[in-house]
Amino acid sequence: MNPADLKYHKEHSWVKVDGNRATIGITDYAQESLGDIVYIDLPEADAQVEADGEIGEIESTKATSTVISPVSGTIVKVNSELEDTPETINEDPYGKGWIVVVEMDNSSELSSLMDAEEYGKFVEENK
Amino acid sequence: MAETKIAILGAGPGGYVAAIRAAQLGAKVTVIEDAEVGGTCLNRGCIPTKTLVATTEVYEKVKEAASFGIELEGGAKLNIPKIMDRQSKVISTLVKGIRGLFKMHGIELIEGRGALVDGKNIEVTLKDGSGKRTVTADKIIIATGSRPAEIPTFPFDHEKIISSDDAICFSAVPKRILIVGAGVIGSEFACVFKGMGSEEVTMVELMPRCLSTEDPEISEMMAREFKKKKIKLILNAKIEKVTVNDDGTVTSYMEGGATVVSDQVLVSIGRALNTKGIGIENTAVKLGKRGEILVNEYMETEEPGIYAIGDCVGGIMLAHLASAEGLCAVENIMHGNVKKMDYRVIPAGIFTLPEIGSVGLREHEANDKGIKVKIGRFALRGLGKAQAMNELAGMVKVIADAETDKILGVHIMGAHSTDFIHEAAVAMAMGATSKQVAEMIHSHPTLAESVMEAMEDVHGMAIHVPPAMGK
Repeated sequence: MNPADLKYHKEHSWVKVDGNRATIGITDYAQESLGDIVYIDLPEADAQVEADGEIGEIESTKATSTVISPVSGTIVKVNSELEDTPETINEDPYGKGWIVVVEMDNSSELSSLMDAEEYGKFVEENK
Repeated sequence: MAETKIAILGAGPGGYVAAIRAAQLGAKVTVIEDAEVGGTCLNRGCIPTKTLVATTEVYEKVKEAASFGIELEGGAKLNIPKIMDRQSKVISTLVKGIRGLFKMHGIELIEGRGALVDGKNIEVTLKDGSGKRTVTADKIIIATGSRPAEIPTFPFDHEKIISSDDAICFSAVPKRILIVGAGVIGSEFACVFKGMGSEEVTMVELMPRCLSTEDPEISEMMAREFKKKKIKLILNAKIEKVTVNDDGTVTSYMEGGATVVSDQVLVSIGRALNTKGIGIENTAVKLGKRGEILVNEYMETEEPGIYAIGDCVGGIMLAHLASAEGLCAVENIMHGNVKKMDYRVIPAGIFTLPEIGSVGLREHEANDKGIKVKIGRFALRGLGKAQAMNELAGMVKVIADAETDKILGVHIMGAHSTDFIHEAAVAMAMGATSKQVAEMIHSHPTLAESVMEAMEDVHGMAIHVPPAMGK
């Protein structure tokens, strides 16, 4: 299930907030839809990201898909282990499959995101 | 009518093909070659590199065996001497093939270095040391080709600082190799060495993208494949100096201060034309700025009766283009200048892993010409055949004229694309529209279906593309 302590973006990414820092990944629904992930194109640390902007690209056996950032800010950490083991995203999308940590510019952006229940409904409606 | 005597300087893919066609048309043909028939293509280029690519491909597949449901005990191990043996065998089979064809067509092969004495005579210094011989002909075709370009920054020692000629033969896979130039040759070798187990492969490229003459989207896709393979690609970078260190390693010094240490440096920065030392000055043949032999649209030089073809005329350096120019030159020699060389449709292959097949205009070239275009794309992973083969990387990009729908260019990255690009080439040669190709029934399941889908996508009608997907 989608963890209750996360916020969700309609492009199927999640954010976990810790102070001014936001850890970002893709949702279980996203990894399930993509199928076996074979590659992730990760951003560079220090890069600037915009809310609704692209932070990376994921290739699965089925499709190529962009990872959308739910918040604006500066990327301070990149999960470079995914380069060698992108399948971690399939195995643990809300844990070891995290993608980046962003130092947020504007935490008010979080209010436009969905909570777990809203996201669950959103996915059901869009299936 | 007396038979036409034709002398051909060089037996590469230009010269030998011209020789056979000339013989078919009834000429008396003499070919002069100072190395081996087949030229760079067969002995130091296309063919030996393709045997290495083939080995690399098998090796990579074997490593994936488990995912195909094959259990291998003990794993796979490369046997370099056997790889080199196989390469030699393939080359010698093909060399013998050409020599056999020469014999059967009554083509005389003189082994030695030829130089023009005037417009009708070539003096040959025989390879066996038995002296000199003069060949007299009514018409001459110069097909002397090219060689790896060498510049003072990278003086070849053929061991640590090597050219592509040296790179095809090795006794061990280099642990760390730096490749200067991420063009066709550099990119192919990068895939071979990395695939065969080099720990560090670094390509340094002056331009802002790899394979800089290809369509930008293809370059970008290939750059991603390099990233997947952990081939390091450094763009917009210039190497100022390389030094061979006492411990046998090589240090490359880049502009801006960075250095890369490797065991070998492969220099693949282009090719130099073989137009010196062949007696051009004894004729009216003129050379261009880069030393290329100037020819007219009939492939004839400024000296009437002397034709030139292939790399030495300085155009796009492709074996099959040299052959086509050879056929054109021979036709004009035998029938009076009747045939203009047609450069409209030239398919080309890059044998990276995955490979790249392309024909016609790239998107940026169409833009530069001010042509309004419509683009169709299709990702190979959308095909059943690609899934079954586990060859998912790549795409087809179609560039069509926005007004007439005529196909202007097709660019494919993906397994076997150098083969199925020819569907696009035929379509372009026939002046087809993208709609016509889209409507042609394509066999299922094949990789060629991707061409159909991309042609459909020009009109937003590809079947296996989700409607909202941008690419």
